[in-house]
Amino acid sequence: MSVGLEHFLVLGAVLFAIGIYLALTKRNAVAVLMGIELMFNAVNVTFVAFSRFVESASPLTGHVFVVFIITVAAAEAAVALALAVLVYRNRETINIDEINLLKW
Amino acid sequence: MLNQVPEAVVWAIFFLPLGSFAVISLAALLSVGGAIRWNPKLSGYITVAAIAVAFLFSLWVLDSVLQEDGRPIGFASHEWVRVGDLTVNIGLTADGLAAVMLIVVTSVSLLVQFYSQAYMHGDPGYSRYFAFMSLFTASMLGLVLSSNILQLFVFWELVGLCSYLLIGFWFYRDSARRAATKAFVVTRLGDLGFLSAILLIWTQTGELDIARIQELALTGAIGSSVIAFFAGGVFAGAAGKSAQFPLHVWLPDAMEGPTPVSALIHAATMVAAGVYLVARLFPVFAVSEEAITTVATVGAITAIIGALLGIVATDIKRVMAYSTISQLGYMMMGLGVGGFVAAIFHLFTHAFFKALLFLGAGSVNHATGTFDMRKMGGLARYMPVTFIATTIAALALVGVFPFAGFWSKDEILANAWKDQPGIFWTALAAVFLTALYVGRMLFLTFGGEYRGGEPSEHGDHSAEPHESPWVIALPLVVLAALSVGAGFVNLTDGFEHLLGGSLPQEARELQTESGFSFGIAAGSVALGLAGLGVAWLVYGLRRVRSEDVREALQPLPTVLERKYYLDDLYEGVIVKGVVMGVVVWGLGLWDRYVIDGLADGIGAFARTSGERLRLAQAGQAQVYGAAIFIGVVAAIAAILLANP
Amino acid sequence: MDSVNRLGPELILLAMAGILVLGDIAFLVTGERLLQRKRAVLAAAALAGTAGSLVWSGLLVATDTTGEAFSGTMTVDKFTLFFNFLFAGTAAIVILASVDYIKRSRFPAEYYGLVLASAAGLMLLASTIDLIAIFVALELTSISLYILVGFVKDQRSSEAGLKYLLLGAISSAVTLYGMAFLFGLSGSTGLGEIADAVAAADEGERAAYVLAAVFLAAGLGFKMAVVPFQMWVPDVYHGAPTPVTAYLSVGSKAAGFAVALRIFVEALGDGFIASDWANMFAVIAAVSMTLGNVVALAQTNIKRLLAYSSIAQAGNFLIGLAAVAANDPQVMLGTSSVMFFLATYAFTNLGAFIAVIAISNKIESDEIDDYAGMARRSPLLALGLTLCLVSLTGIPPTAGFIAKVYIFNAAVQADLVWLAVVGVLNSVLSVYYYLRVVLNMYTREPLSEEAIPLSPALGFAMATATVGLLVVGIFPFPLIEASEAAAAVFG
Repeated sequence: MSVGLEHFLVLGAVLFAIGIYLALTKRNAVAVLMGIELMFNAVNVTFVAFSRFVESASPLTGHVFVVFIITVAAAEAAVALALAVLVYRNRETINIDEINLLKW
Repeated sequence: MLNQVPEAVVWAIFFLPLGSFAVISLAALLSVGGAIRWNPKLSGYITVAAIAVAFLFSLWVLDSVLQEDGRPIGFASHEWVRVGDLTVNIGLTADGLAAVMLIVVTSVSLLVQFYSQAYMHGDPGYSRYFAFMSLFTASMLGLVLSSNILQLFVFWELVGLCSYLLIGFWFYRDSARRAATKAFVVTRLGDLGFLSAILLIWTQTGELDIARIQELALTGAIGSSVIAFFAGGVFAGAAGKSAQFPLHVWLPDAMEGPTPVSALIHAATMVAAGVYLVARLFPVFAVSEEAITTVATVGAITAIIGALLGIVATDIKRVMAYSTISQLGYMMMGLGVGGFVAAIFHLFTHAFFKALLFLGAGSVNHATGTFDMRKMGGLARYMPVTFIATTIAALALVGVFPFAGFWSKDEILANAWKDQPGIFWTALAAVFLTALYVGRMLFLTFGGEYRGGEPSEHGDHSAEPHESPWVIALPLVVLAALSVGAGFVNLTDGFEHLLGGSLPQEARELQTESGFSFGIAAGSVALGLAGLGVAWLVYGLRRVRSEDVREALQPLPTVLERKYYLDDLYEGVIVKGVVMGVVVWGLGLWDRYVIDGLADGIGAFARTSGERLRLAQAGQAQVYGAAIFIGVVAAIAAILLANP
Repeated sequence: MDSVNRLGPELILLAMAGILVLGDIAFLVTGERLLQRKRAVLAAAALAGTAGSLVWSGLLVATDTTGEAFSGTMTVDKFTLFFNFLFAGTAAIVILASVDYIKRSRFPAEYYGLVLASAAGLMLLASTIDLIAIFVALELTSISLYILVGFVKDQRSSEAGLKYLLLGAISSAVTLYGMAFLFGLSGSTGLGEIADAVAAADEGERAAYVLAAVFLAAGLGFKMAVVPFQMWVPDVYHGAPTPVTAYLSVGSKAAGFAVALRIFVEALGDGFIASDWANMFAVIAAVSMTLGNVVALAQTNIKRLLAYSSIAQAGNFLIGLAAVAANDPQVMLGTSSVMFFLATYAFTNLGAFIAVIAISNKIESDEIDDYAGMARRSPLLALGLTLCLVSLTGIPPTAGFIAKVYIFNAAVQADLVWLAVVGVLNSVLSVYYYLRVVLNMYTREPLSEEAIPLSPALGFAMATATVGLLVVGIFPFPLIEASEAAAAVFG
């Protein structure tokens, strides 16, 4: 049995699902962020797999996309951590359940 | 005979009051900011001047239309909006119908504005008042002149907005605020129908031009069910604006506004806009049996209901309001029996005498500080001008020869007599009831002894009331003259000729032709006099006897007691207990549960759901995230299941 | 050089953003706080940036410049230019509205820099025709906005920032997953190539396309703020600095629609998939309008009220998008109706928020009850806010009325009569809560007689917005022509 496109897609889907699960259940905001990063990486796996297996006029596009995603995700993580610090200074918690001043 | 009126002059009729609104608002805003000093009196002068010029221009339009035998003067239309296939043109209609309405609106508005200068004197919102009144007049004129139904709808909404602003003019009164909201909501309910009618006719025919819609309806190019639904929707809008049963409930409350506002907007012009709209689309109604019957039936019911309610009200303005409802019902009924000319003729005469009644009520209020008739009485002695003017208007309203109402009301009756006996007898009953409440109003207000009035913020009115200043009295006199004279304009069928021209040829045959019928005229006048007589017996005599006789013949006031008993029986048992009991109860339920239900309580229902739904928004970011995924999964599942 | 010329409006904004931020750092390093003290200079510089961008866009229109840029990842056409004006204008009004608000902040240069950067991102979004570029432009906007939302650093602002970021990142991931599938199906990231692939696709690939379309719709729906991707809206609007809220409600939402038009109409419009996403958007539109309006009835805070109102309005825009595909020849009408509505909504909603900013600057409250008697404390502001609310309701003679007629017309033409009816009913419902604010201002006793001052910057912004909505309400034709010309790009 050789490893084909399907296997990579399933891997991507499983990673994406685990990411969702983490993002929606972890109480610590940083852990939620890790879940989101996992979702991004699931997307990266999918892109690279498609790039490798799908016939395309410009086969490198998928890889290029992945590089962009990694870069942007890093910038996003930086801002996220800064905001987490800000929230911690204000509230002395980054427990996402307790960050619910704004509601209704 | 002048030259034919140029288009710019007709536009000016609309733009003059609009300009007055703009100037006054700007000046008022700047003066609040302290940039300029603005004497509020100027606001009044500007308004009166602008409307006076508009009135002169309207006369010119009338002159030109008369030369054309009432047929529309052809003005080019201008492209306003083009959205895809939808092109909305704006343009002017100047035909017999429009000319009559122009005269009514500008003349009554002119007199009312003149009067308002004294009535609103010293009110902190003096400039605001005249700004709104100018805007209203402009919108009303725009409505009358519209050649396109969407254009008309825009002005339709604008007059509604002005009415809302003016009813709530004294917004610090809770009752005024409530009344304004109620009026706004109820009329919007009707407007919903109107808007759907516009959408319907446009999707079906692609036409919004009124003349084209008439043409298509007459040539049978539109299916009969489409016409019926279209006419029904339009009539819903007209019923809301013209306070037709069961949407009449907002008008009595609307009396919370200043009295001149009631005279102009809620008696002479805006409430007549519904009648005007039905008349404007008369050919469309006339080709649909269902539509025209609905108009006649609703009109007849409204005429009776309004008159019955008028008998028990104690607030003089509310009596007038019910009277207006009843008379508007008359006009609708007139249209419904095919009496296009008769209905508009009645609209024309009614505008003058009803405005006069309101301005008279305002004058009385100016003197006594109250609108409660139980606190008036004997004012004939103190306020002769007001008394005579009001009496003339009252007789015109009852339809006594030779006052204006006699001529117009008779035409409606004669039209109904032709082939709608049910409607005819209802209308005749309404004539009697009208006379009854008019008589009651007259005797309670002007007959007997003065019962003290009420002290108001303007000063102590418990002293002797006095006649109002000439600025108030002059419009009364002019309107009184019109209430006598307006009926004669159709003596030689000139009016009929003028209006007939505004209908397309084919539609003219759909009207009911009617001549003057001596029998009907005599009968209705007799009924009217009978009604006045009953009122005199009950309300007039009671005053005389209850005070003089009670003291002199104290041991034996049996006759008097019986009078009282009759009075109680009449008002308390028969009217209130049986007829009114059921009617008022039913109407009260409608008012409380349906109308207030909408005003406060769409309200309550939607807000409760809102309260529940907002709880989902608990501030938990992860719940929000979950909603995204649930949405995604649901969407994919729905698409693939619905269309695999 | 052609590329640079064509993307000049965006580049000017980015350059000015760079100058502001780097200049601030330079002065910081030398220990001079010059820029900190000269706040007016900063605002003027930022405004000059937007003005330059507007002028450059004007030149592009005047010289009739169109064409692709940067190896076919972006295109400049009428559609792009329409949004260039919209976004640069929005940014300019937001900057004007921020002058007073940002006085207390220690970092005004960064603030204006971020506004300009995100505006550049918004404009790029309207011009990109490649998934990679779309993603980068989306994130350029989003990351700037995350920081702006948390800019005040108090409890509410920081909470709003963190929530916005986490949910925004989740939605980005979802969008990317959709993009990955589109790439996998078509082998390309260019919208044109994807359209070709869709046209050639067979029935077996439909499920995968549906998956991709829904994932993309979820990501863009987050930006547009439509149900069920809207839940961040009330909290973030509430917590963010009010000028930023105004910016979010107009800029970010409009950009969502611009991209949606590009992706769905251009790439996914011409295939067997179109009716699926059109039905989905129709349902989402109905639900968004209804939910937004119903929950708005229960709000007591004006910012939250406007947040729910913006959800309902997004539902209105979506009607146009649903109408695009339901009927092929109506592509023009649906698209142009959305664009017209977006433009009128922009100055209407900005006007409303400016009034809220001016009032909260003084009374430091966003509670609707505290707006009692505002007509007496500031007649001009009350009048302006009333006009904006009247336009949001859709009562003539304001721009909102024309916009609603336009978009309901599009729905009726596309045989979506039921959707138009839902829209009309919702308009009636919305009267209730918009009117409540107006009644509060005009009919209740003020809590204090103290007048509300209106700074020149806010006054100018307010005047622009209200005059705009009246002019468009009375003479809508030029704007309609512009929308139609822009929509013709998809014809």
